[in-house]
Amino acid sequence: MEDTGDPRERNESKIDMTSEEVLDSKDRILDDLVKMLTGILDISPTDVRADMAIEADLALDSLQLYELVLDLEEAYDIRIPDTMLETVKTVGDVVDMVYLISISND
Amino acid sequence: MQNEQKDFSLSLVRIFDNVLLTEEEALSKGYFSDLSIAELHTLDAIGPYEARTMTETANDLGITTGTLTVAIDRLLKKGYVTRDRDTVDRRIVRISLTKNGKLACRIHQKFHSVLAQRILDPYTPEERAMLIKMTNEIDEFVKSQLLRYSDKKQIRKTAHEVANDNRRRIE
Repeated sequence: MEDTGDPRERNESKIDMTSEEVLDSKDRILDDLVKMLTGILDISPTDVRADMAIEADLALDSLQLYELVLDLEEAYDIRIPDTMLETVKTVGDVVDMVYLISISND
Repeated sequence: MQNEQKDFSLSLVRIFDNVLLTEEEALSKGYFSDLSIAELHTLDAIGPYEARTMTETANDLGITTGTLTVAIDRLLKKGYVTRDRDTVDRRIVRISLTKNGKLACRIHQKFHSVLAQRILDPYTPEERAMLIKMTNEIDEFVKSQLLRYSDKKQIRKTAHEVANDNRRRIE
């Protein structure tokens, strides 16, 4: 699959994906997420790892967290409810959440 | 029984007042201190997703479209909403939230959910279910009382009218 740069175009077909394709999708979400985080926080992309805790390690405050949520909702054309957001602790959890919501939208 | 009624009645009024007061305090000390509670509730009625028409939003808020237009003008100036005319039917005006408007709306919704969560937290799941059920019943009852009044313009004479009637009868 060629990367078009726009997450909405990339997410058009996710039916019957192999585990490799799932990992590929999640990697792309992580890449997008890192780009968004570097836009919100004053950090370099290499500073962000999937196992990092959003609050403790990245120190995202509530406003920055919702900025990230709005960026993700717009990029992936999804809705992220607060109830799902509450279960998210690490950067990797955010990737999994976005992946789950975007495949359930298809 | 009388004390029970008095305590309960005072608590109800205090809860209403203090939720509003806490909201106001949190707002004035937070990121969106340039917004009033009424403006925040307008943003809430528009919601963070699809654009809404002026009529729908005014109906949800229980205000006229004229009043809403004034509120929207202010929110436009502050950069929280955008206003567009429908491309097909130019009479229809659609309003939606800007990124800042969406942020304010989401953070305000979070305020309410955190408040609810902290109220419910100390209780067992059974107690929580009971509390939610009883609160819903109170909500329904108060709503039904409101309906009784909204049906009629004035269901009772004012004290002034009663006094005038009495005076006329004596004369």
